[in-house]
Amino acid sequence: MSLPSVLTKFSVLQKGAPLDGASLQGIPREGVVLIDPPLSGETNMAIDEALLRDATPESPVVLRVYRWEQPTLSLGHFQSWDDCRAVPGLSDLPWVRRKTGGGAIVHDQEITYSILIPETRNKSSKGHSELLYRAIHGSAVENLQRLGWDAKLSETCTCSTATNQKEEPFLCFSRRSPVDLIIGTDKIMGSAQRRTSAGLLQHGSLLIRHSPTTPELIGLSELITQFPSKLVQEGFRDDSVGSYNKDMREKGLHDALMDRGCERVIAKAPFDQTAWVNFLILVLKKGLSQIVNCRWQDRNLDEHSVFM
Amino acid sequence: MSILPEELRYLESHEWVSVSNETPGIATVGISAFAVAELTDLVFMALPKVGQSVSAGHEFGEVESVKAVSPMYSPVSGTVVEIHSELVNNLESLSVDPYDGGWIMKVQMSDPSELARLLDWTSYKHQCDNA
Repeated sequence: MSLPSVLTKFSVLQKGAPLDGASLQGIPREGVVLIDPPLSGETNMAIDEALLRDATPESPVVLRVYRWEQPTLSLGHFQSWDDCRAVPGLSDLPWVRRKTGGGAIVHDQEITYSILIPETRNKSSKGHSELLYRAIHGSAVENLQRLGWDAKLSETCTCSTATNQKEEPFLCFSRRSPVDLIIGTDKIMGSAQRRTSAGLLQHGSLLIRHSPTTPELIGLSELITQFPSKLVQEGFRDDSVGSYNKDMREKGLHDALMDRGCERVIAKAPFDQTAWVNFLILVLKKGLSQIVNCRWQDRNLDEHSVFM
Repeated sequence: MSILPEELRYLESHEWVSVSNETPGIATVGISAFAVAELTDLVFMALPKVGQSVSAGHEFGEVESVKAVSPMYSPVSGTVVEIHSELVNNLESLSVDPYDGGWIMKVQMSDPSELARLLDWTSYKHQCDNA
């Protein structure tokens, strides 16, 4: 397929943003945030593939957040499409194959991100970057915890080997690797990587709510509704909002609610998908800052400037 | 045949190449013990096809481990004459024997002089020790 025009425009942006001695060791590198509108699966994958293919040591670090114009199945690089027949409904979806590894994802009620870190010095690396996985997912854990979520890293593994790969669940969100982000027992965020001599590409997905295609997978929105709001209201029945706010300031959300006899702690959440996108960008930037010193150009290209 | 890592030539990206005296035009290619350790648990490997052309420094296959896909680069140019297809179903063996039993492909070299541009064991070991 021909590449989307966004790439032509993006390469112009690259030329206009030269690096001044890029390094992973403290000298600031240029960083670009791309927020794309919903696109087709082919276009989304072509953009990420081109970003990695065309990366040079002078290219900026790219943080891209995007959605899909229709529910789409993306397969891990080595997954067989035939295996999706084992999961009802999946074979009816349009599908693409990612350049990154891992399990299949139904891109429906989730937000996808890609991070490209162009290689500047060590072109000989092979395999995954545990550092990047943990930086990004650790940042997500920290920021969700600040909102009151009981988020943590899985630290468990359903990882397959070459001999038992068929035993591993087909869907990424049904698998567990140690760096996956979970709330309770539900996986909310997963990522996968591809490393070439040009750079490191990491794909990831934040599950906002369940898709009708995969009702067994719980997203953040379902977790919110699992919080018994009646219990929270009952807990506050005799208390004024002012008292609650005072306790919040002094004790924090969790303790303030537990003091009032709530059985579960309610958490705050962005109120719509745009707010979730902004939250995810914040998470990704904070995570990346632990390993790359980026000077972000927050010229967040809107739909009109990029796609018209 | 017994392949000793000290007698091999290497790419910086951890692929090794061996040329025996019996078949001087044929290069045997694999990935080093260092690469296998860096990759950790291997899940998939995609091999080239027999008859396929490969170029020195360019990708000839891919390997997946821990949700990361990494390309494998050919140390030499030429035509693939044999692949180790059993290896795909026995990737664990690479962590035990990445050299003799872990060879990946054999290439009829089109330019054996390319071998001289590869790292010798001392240089490659120095690279790994400083990684």
